[in-house]
Amino acid sequence: MSRYEVRIVGYGGQGVITLSKMIINASSLYGNLAATQTEAYGSSARGGRCWAEVVIELDKNIKSIDYPKAMEPYDFLVVLSEEAAKNVKPDNLKKDENTGYLIWDTSTIQSFRAAKQIDKAIGIPIQRIAVEVFNNMVFGNSILFGVFTSLSKIFSEQSAIETIKKFVPSATINQNLEAFELGKQEAEKFLIKLKEAAN
Amino acid sequence: MSDKDTKRYLPEGKYIMMGNVAMAEGALAAGLNFFGGYPITPSTEVIEHLAKRLPEVGGTCLQMEDELASINAVMGASLAGAKAMTATSGPGLSLMVETISMAANLEIPFVFCDVQRVGPGSHGPVTAPHHNDIGLVRFAGHGEFQVIALAPMNCQELFDLTITAFNFAETYRCPVFILSDAYLGHIHEPVYVPSKEEVIKRVIMRELPQDYSKIYSYKDNDTGAYVIPKPPIIGTDYYPPTALQLPHTTQGLPTSNILSFMEILIEKVKSNIDKISLTEEYRLEDADIVIIAYGLPVRASYRAVDEARDMGIKVGVFRLITVWPFPDEKVREVVENCKAIIIPELNYTGFIAEQVERVKKPETPMTKIPKVGVFHHPDDILNVIKEVSK
Repeated sequence: MSRYEVRIVGYGGQGVITLSKMIINASSLYGNLAATQTEAYGSSARGGRCWAEVVIELDKNIKSIDYPKAMEPYDFLVVLSEEAAKNVKPDNLKKDENTGYLIWDTSTIQSFRAAKQIDKAIGIPIQRIAVEVFNNMVFGNSILFGVFTSLSKIFSEQSAIETIKKFVPSATINQNLEAFELGKQEAEKFLIKLKEAAN
Repeated sequence: MSDKDTKRYLPEGKYIMMGNVAMAEGALAAGLNFFGGYPITPSTEVIEHLAKRLPEVGGTCLQMEDELASINAVMGASLAGAKAMTATSGPGLSLMVETISMAANLEIPFVFCDVQRVGPGSHGPVTAPHHNDIGLVRFAGHGEFQVIALAPMNCQELFDLTITAFNFAETYRCPVFILSDAYLGHIHEPVYVPSKEEVIKRVIMRELPQDYSKIYSYKDNDTGAYVIPKPPIIGTDYYPPTALQLPHTTQGLPTSNILSFMEILIEKVKSNIDKISLTEEYRLEDADIVIIAYGLPVRASYRAVDEARDMGIKVGVFRLITVWPFPDEKVREVVENCKAIIIPELNYTGFIAEQVERVKKPETPMTKIPKVGVFHHPDDILNVIKEVSK
């Protein structure tokens, strides 16, 4: 049994729920792993404090997820708002190799104390890049998805690309794939830095 | 194959579906052609999805002015030969019980999706799960009758068991409930949808009977068996001569033999309990401790059992997929020789614990784990397992 626990927190409208749906599609629909996604519902999903979780079973022989909520410590945490950042503690994340990643948006979070104590924390100005490069905040989602795909390695890049094609309006597929690529590059740069730090 | 048929059945394959949508798609696969409802959190996605899907398949989705009108529309549609359903939550269910009594009395088949939320009342934490309608559905209405209630625990089962629910409604002509909840209704999970041919094989279609002389259920005096004729359809020759909410004969004529009328409404279901009672056993073979659960808490129970087994504690789960009618004999057998019983329920009362209390040996200890609004973490159950295994 090897559960991969993902939690995404921020405000409704930032793409918290969309990102979680993209992750379950890539891992379960295209990646053929058992998975469960749960999300905040109601007013919180429409502008309030918002969260979404995905639990993915990495063992292909296990066909379903028992307990549906993500359990601490998480394998992956995505934090998109200052308010959500305040509640993060270093212990929220696993300490093992190749897991326990934190992605946070430096353009929406001014200070993130816990992130400094987490080795595998990657701060990226996601919203700013989305606006500067694509002139639209929504592309932040594909950037994040790129970072997630590269770091988590729980599904293939092909599965990720299929997912993007399913989720975004057809006229914006190419731009979203570019955004995905940007996210991937950020993740790769980060992984190199991590390796150097370890040496 | 007409275009409408093509649209009714999703192409075979795997889909990521929200719980409420899986339930709606299960209903379409079962042949649903009428939905009457009034939106209420957390069931709203059911009517939302069917408002789009039913017209595509030649069916009707009606948003009525309130819950009372909704359930009455569903009864009318079913009497007219439609496979009919409504979906609501606790506050809507309590408004609908009067008509549920009528439906039971007239043996009108329909499926009732109850996406349970924290109660009582129409405000408050409406998006939190609470299995508080377990008792209400058991005795939903005046008069005496037996209902069937199924408790799925994941999106795949919301699809599959909705088909089963429709089949039970057609076969037993009694109110059939699907007990979902606010959490399960909003979860997204993979759902495998079988091919159209496979789906059709599973579904009992609405059809007219051979014998038009018997319309309502009756007891065969020669065999002692309860016979449930196909439901009548208004507008055909197989038309109920009366549709009065009175104790009635198999021809629908009033009868003063009320006791045997009640017996028929209850025993037509209970005498088929072997076919209706769906259960699942998990690591029970040599278990000293038995967890009895239904719905969401089953998932945490499975995990807790795995962890406890790793510690060498002999514990297993007996899962009720069919909650009502309660399978007295099966449960009696399962708990007969166990040393302890644990019952995690998403309510304070412990509706199923009360039933287990009836059938267990008085000396067997039973521990309830009540939760409301938030559901059981595996550790909540594991801690109790460790406690009782000492």
